[in-house]
Amino acid sequence: MAELVSILGVPHNPLLWRTMRTDPVPDDLARTRENFDRFREELAASDVDVLVVVGSDHLRQFQWGNSPAFCIGKAERFACTFENEIRTFGLEPWEMIGDPELAGWLLGDTELQPDIDFAMSNEWVLDHSFTLPAKFLTPDLGVPIVPIHTNANIPPIPRAERYATLGQYLRSRIEAAPFDRKVALVASGHLATEIGGARQFLGGGSPDQEFDDLATEWMRTGDLDGAIAGCTFERLAAAGNVTGQFLNFITALAAAGGPATFAEGTPSRFANGPFFRWDP
Amino acid sequence: MSRYEIDKFISFVEGLDQAVLDYVADPEGFVAAWEARAAASRLPRADGGTLTAEERAALVNRDHAELYRLGAHQYVLWHFVEAIRVWTGEVTWPEMKERFRADIAPHGTVDIST
Repeated sequence: MAELVSILGVPHNPLLWRTMRTDPVPDDLARTRENFDRFREELAASDVDVLVVVGSDHLRQFQWGNSPAFCIGKAERFACTFENEIRTFGLEPWEMIGDPELAGWLLGDTELQPDIDFAMSNEWVLDHSFTLPAKFLTPDLGVPIVPIHTNANIPPIPRAERYATLGQYLRSRIEAAPFDRKVALVASGHLATEIGGARQFLGGGSPDQEFDDLATEWMRTGDLDGAIAGCTFERLAAAGNVTGQFLNFITALAAAGGPATFAEGTPSRFANGPFFRWDP
Repeated sequence: MSRYEIDKFISFVEGLDQAVLDYVADPEGFVAAWEARAAASRLPRADGGTLTAEERAALVNRDHAELYRLGAHQYVLWHFVEAIRVWTGEVTWPEMKERFRADIAPHGTVDIST
């Protein structure tokens, strides 16, 4: 039977790819590196079979012409990285293995399950929301992935309670699977972050420290109701124009159903990086 | 519909290296070709494929502040600006980020819904 062996929340800031792989790591990114290393080692120790990554495509795979609220990737293989991500972030054209059996089960195989009306994709190029966590947590990309896209970037976005429903559904569906699998649920997102707005790249620190403190506390204490109430579209937007991707951590929190055993908004030159871990 | 067309345009350009180079080499010609392709379509196009006069001017002039004001998706707009100004070597990244911030600041919060 399938088993949820790990629930993590990590950042996917693509600028980390160039800046954090130097030796030595710059002082302001040392803690970010340390947190990724810790999670990577824990994941390896759990002998995980598959990563279910809940992330938000950045208007590459899913654009304004076709924007699903939630989509599961069912392909056997996923191409990674777009031309602009190679140019802008220095990412590389990787490939990841899929897990169609688990993806199909999560979708409901022939009939969608009652909780979430998922879209489905058999052809999906994964962007940095999925590839960065995978590269930092499983550097050889040898662990298969089931990507789940959440639309946190193109209004209208799903309300916070839908992200919680997604997390609760994923846990129950994974645990009901009629096949063996050790599953790590990895939520990929941001704390307060702004890109393309007047508060971007202000020279280090968060655009909204108050939000980051609250958000980290919701995870630390397992306060799902507080997180849902605190993550209205208006509050997220006030914290930064791409802060909506914090909602993916509500999915992780709901799947865990309790307090995180590690919760930190790690300071860096870019913004505070979210690192959360729950013992499932 | 029109804000959608801006997003579609800047996303297309930013997505491909060659499109960045072609657009920067001849913004007016590139925009004209974009609209001409839509006009030449044998079948009706779902997106219409046309720009308003102010959208066309903003794209031809590579006017990021005006595109911001018109409601371009800000995440894509910034990367579009990085591609057409920084990657092409016109300005450095630190210069561009300061200039971008200063140029869009007067417009405040803008609705980006399509």
